Amino acid sequence: MPVREDLVKVKAVLWLHTLRLWRYRYSFLNMILSEAAWIFMFVLGALLFVPSERLGVAVKGAFWTIVAWSFVSNFSSLVGGWMNFFISIGMVEEHLVRGFSPFRTLLGRVVTGLSVVVASLLFMAALVGGAFHVNLLHTESLWLLLAGMGLLAVQSLSYGFTVASIAVRTSVPNNLLEILNFVVVGLLMVPVQALPEALRPVFLCIPYVAPAHLVKLAAGAGEGLEYAALAVAGVEALAMAVVAAWATKWAIRWIRRNGVRAIGFW
Amino acid sequence: MGVKTLLKSGIVLDLYFFKNNRSAFVSMLIWPYLTLGLILGMGAMFGSAQAFRQNVGLPVNPLTYFVASTLAMMVSLDVMWGVGGSVLHHRWIGTLPYVLLSPNRTSVTLVFTYVPRYLMTAAIQLAEFAPLVLAVEGLSVGTLKLGVMALAATVGMLPLLGFAALFASFLLSIKEESNVLSFLNPLILLFSGAFYPAYLLPRWAQLISAILPSTYTIELARVAALIGSPELRRVTLLIGALVAMTALYNSASGLVIEAGERRAMREGAI
Repeated sequence: MPVREDLVKVKAVLWLHTLRLWRYRYSFLNMILSEAAWIFMFVLGALLFVPSERLGVAVKGAFWTIVAWSFVSNFSSLVGGWMNFFISIGMVEEHLVRGFSPFRTLLGRVVTGLSVVVASLLFMAALVGGAFHVNLLHTESLWLLLAGMGLLAVQSLSYGFTVASIAVRTSVPNNLLEILNFVVVGLLMVPVQALPEALRPVFLCIPYVAPAHLVKLAAGAGEGLEYAALAVAGVEALAMAVVAAWATKWAIRWIRRNGVRAIGFW
Repeated sequence: MGVKTLLKSGIVLDLYFFKNNRSAFVSMLIWPYLTLGLILGMGAMFGSAQAFRQNVGLPVNPLTYFVASTLAMMVSLDVMWGVGGSVLHHRWIGTLPYVLLSPNRTSVTLVFTYVPRYLMTAAIQLAEFAPLVLAVEGLSVGTLKLGVMALAATVGMLPLLGFAALFASFLLSIKEESNVLSFLNPLILLFSGAFYPAYLLPRWAQLISAILPSTYTIELARVAALIGSPELRRVTLLIGALVAMTALYNSASGLVIEAGERRAMREGAI
């Protein structure tokens, strides 16, 4: 019986987020196109500096960097950012009263995040591939690509949940997050192989860098450190997930004692 | 209420906006240099100025090229958001019915209250970049190039006003509470060749570029990036294209807004 009940709850969460995705379809389309187009425009400008013989590799590198950034940005903001809305409409208390963690409802945002990332990816692949005559969706190692993307998703989701947990008792200035987003793009753009050898493992230890490197390796736009990146990304993803799980439990305990503050992330 | 009053109210509104929103003013000053810094920084990381000239296929200075691109992009964005976004803002704060009921046509009110802000922000951004352009290009050539950029910002505004008004009408007609068309801004800039020349885009994208007024504004601003003095023939051609687009887009937007106003008054809903 409890298993059946759990399944019904999972179904309800998935149904809620899929329905919202359809209801706010214009906003959804607006978001994917807007984000992808802004970053893409900057990258196109930067590619103008690349010599033609290196363009194929650079285009692939830039494309998959944007995809990686899209994972980070969307998973963290669509989860973390949605908490503000959820708090504002009084749903956190409603869920707690009914014995269902609001963070489990938040997990359904994966549906929205994945839809945004996949749609942006296909849109950008058509645009960039057409402009540079490169098949961007061709990969050298599918499993490495999936591993890189999966680890990126876990890391960014964990970050989103940690921020959402903090959001129940504090606020994060929007400007700061925008600057952080710019920093992440900058970090992901730097090719690991271009750094001095001693610095490479240290650079890989920065969150998101190792899984993004795996994605670039899979696309043929990076070199070396495959196992190191895999190990670092795995350990980081695990650590971030543990922190996120602890943070959500801590947040629930805190809410039960103090109530929710109607101030959130954003 | 004449056009002079609308212009005056636009100037006063903007001066007080900047006075009371100093962080917005500072952000307006910083943003163009952030944009320029990001793109030149990434360019320096991935390649060289020589490769840039080869790819663009023109003898240009990358710095002046991106200053001109950034300026044209910023002013185009300003028009699209300034006119289109103001309609949404009026609806949010409940002043849209007053705008519709005022003695002037809605399009006239929207445009003439906005023009002072546009000219002011364009002048501030040009003044911000002026020392950089003068330092790179020298006093006489630099001044000439700044003149071309000022011309692009001014003439380029005219068709964009009509284009943005069409944008605003569509925003109103779909009755959404947020600016669900904000994705069009980067897309329009992308197809207009902001940062990446439109002639290097795929053929289908070039067709879209050709019908966008911002393409010609950006092209005109970029004439300034060519090494040496700007070519007069090219400048004249681009101004001609912008004048033709002004006639086209402004008459189209006039018709669309008039129909929208009539419908709003008949149905009593906006």
